[in-house]
Amino acid sequence: MTDLRDLAEPTTPDPDLVGVLTDLFADYRATRATPTAVVDLDRDLWQRLEQLGMTRLTGRESSGGSGGGWVDAAALLGLAAAAAAPVPLAEHDLLGGWLLEAAGLPNDGGLRTVCRPDPSGVALNVTWARDASRIVALWEDRDQWRVADVPIDRVAIEERRNLAGEPSDTVEFDLDDLENGTVVAHEIGEQFHLRGALARSAQVVGAMERVVEVVLAHVREREQFGRPIGRFQAVQHLVADIASETALARAATDAAVARAAASEWRDPGMLFAVGVAKSCVGHAASVVVRGAHQALGAIGTTLEHELHTLTRPILARRSEYGSLQDWDETLTALASSAGHDRLWTLITTGRAKPSSGQRPPHDNA
Amino acid sequence: MSARLVPPGARELPALTDLRLEVRAFLADQVAAGAFVPHVDTWLTRWDRDFTRELGRRGWLGMVIPTEYGGQGRTYLERFVVTEELLVVGAPVAAHWIAERQIGPSLLRYGTEEQKQAFLPGISRGEVVFGIGMSEPDSGSDLASVRTRAERVDGGWRLTGTKVWTSGAHEADAFFALARSAPLDPAHRHEGLSQFIVDLRAPGVTIRPIISMGGDHHFNEVHLDGVLIPDERVLGEVGQGWSQVSSELAYERSGPERVLSTFQLLAAAAQAMDDGRLPTDPGLGRHVARVAALHHMSFAVSTALEHHEDADTAAAVVKVLGTTGEGDIADYVDTLTASGWALDEELDTLLHAAILQRPGFTLRGGTNEILRGVIARGLGMR
Repeated sequence: MTDLRDLAEPTTPDPDLVGVLTDLFADYRATRATPTAVVDLDRDLWQRLEQLGMTRLTGRESSGGSGGGWVDAAALLGLAAAAAAPVPLAEHDLLGGWLLEAAGLPNDGGLRTVCRPDPSGVALNVTWARDASRIVALWEDRDQWRVADVPIDRVAIEERRNLAGEPSDTVEFDLDDLENGTVVAHEIGEQFHLRGALARSAQVVGAMERVVEVVLAHVREREQFGRPIGRFQAVQHLVADIASETALARAATDAAVARAAASEWRDPGMLFAVGVAKSCVGHAASVVVRGAHQALGAIGTTLEHELHTLTRPILARRSEYGSLQDWDETLTALASSAGHDRLWTLITTGRAKPSSGQRPPHDNA
Repeated sequence: MSARLVPPGARELPALTDLRLEVRAFLADQVAAGAFVPHVDTWLTRWDRDFTRELGRRGWLGMVIPTEYGGQGRTYLERFVVTEELLVVGAPVAAHWIAERQIGPSLLRYGTEEQKQAFLPGISRGEVVFGIGMSEPDSGSDLASVRTRAERVDGGWRLTGTKVWTSGAHEADAFFALARSAPLDPAHRHEGLSQFIVDLRAPGVTIRPIISMGGDHHFNEVHLDGVLIPDERVLGEVGQGWSQVSSELAYERSGPERVLSTFQLLAAAAQAMDDGRLPTDPGLGRHVARVAALHHMSFAVSTALEHHEDADTAAAVVKVLGTTGEGDIADYVDTLTASGWALDEELDTLLHAAILQRPGFTLRGGTNEILRGVIARGLGMR
């Protein structure tokens, strides 16, 4: 009998880490204020996460990080999103912290967000910009990518909010600050979009899993016609569908995270793997958000109810780092270039051609 | 919900990938040599005993059957990658499908030593071909309502009744029949059922074709008129038929054949988009993404089963999503085509076959309506 350990390797996050975070976010959920229409950074929660080393989970230990990998980081993002925790974990650590390390720039641990300004120095929809001490900018300067760590007092911020009611500001940089940024390798510029898209996928899946829990609790408690509505077959099928779509999105996201972790993002199949996650997550979001609001009835549409603290971020985040349509088009391009004889190779390895340079899609994050 | 609906994912390691590539290379040679023409839904519609025997010679049948019974003594995960490779290339695998997927494992679990010796070596060589007799004219989703009677006689049982939708019965050597061996007790409907190994050439067996809407003959009605089954051809315990049938459902429902039945059509559509014969459309990427995610999910379920974990709910999730998706691929490609617009012969053939086979995808092996109920139970709603 073949040894199973030679055939497949489970990719699960550190159970101790998951235990600590589950407790922390359960406590956060139990003690937080009632939901609001606009959502601001929770600095107390951020501090608690900072004390646990979670705000720089994937940073190198030599520069003050916790040295964690993407599997643990994705678990953290999912659990935080399930608790609708208003904290910039993806921006500060997985994206901003990573860019600073890639550029060899110091990281003082002060709150960072991240963006890609356009050639005129303007970046739209920069989440948490107003709350950051510095903004890490990735700038495509002719044929080079540059990273600049710009203090907040050197940018102009126009405050805006996204569909989730979170800060999602317009930031205008001084072009000098961007032009003085540190040149980084091409692959850094190309990976940024993929890392952002996968981080958003992990967040959306975590939130969708919580939505399934909320829906299940409701359909067990809510009685109509003398019985819990979850006893009705029509409702059971609706809930089965949202749970199944969520599970598919989870499988796609975990597979991409596992590939990223195993190869430290060097696997040429990452574009496809992230695209699969982003596509499955995005389409699942349509089914889950619609189905959950249907199952919850009118109560689920109110400000006081938890549901919108999940469904609004789900929809806000699925459109970041590439729209669903963009990603489906990217996958279409990969699939058609793979053609009949290599489509299955593309699916199993992420590679459309034996040795292809695969560029990420147009970025509009 | 305390537990996840689907087990956590696992990464395929090089030992499995090597096997995958070995099978893939063989199949590419077979296609190039014209040994078979790739098609859709081949695990139901394409019988080729020579091809099946060739797989047996190469050690790709009887993979989970121990070597002492002529099998390969390998794992479900190894079988999984072989199965995937056979399906995506649209190989003719129907002749051994049922035996390989459920008859072999059931015999291993419930069969007597004599039964194992009698059937497993032939199954592993691809020489003994099995069908499965579950549904009846009045028993579809409600399987416990089967009426085929097993009456005790000296030295065995006499089976009387009619089985329907028996794939390949006209080509097969034997099938497993689920029959009522004790009168129905309405309070305990799942009791009193037994499984029998029926020689399809025995006296009293009549096989009539059920022709599918495209004119093809895959299904049959198998009429059993007092067929004598000796005691040594009872499978497992008398009266335990229901639990024996149920115990293999996770394997039956979570496999790649619930995802990949139309893969050849999807691949042809990808090629047609690249060649400009179909319009470039993001729907292709969407379907490819779902197939990829289901590949991971199905592998995760196989890994859990390999570790003897319960995966009935997860298998139902794979089957609902997978069979819906493989049917949606057929409909999707159809929506891209225009009447009067000359497609190539290959795409046309695959598309028409896929559309005609599609209704069966979400029916066979438990309808999606039944399976959503299974998922709801897994979620604690029932």
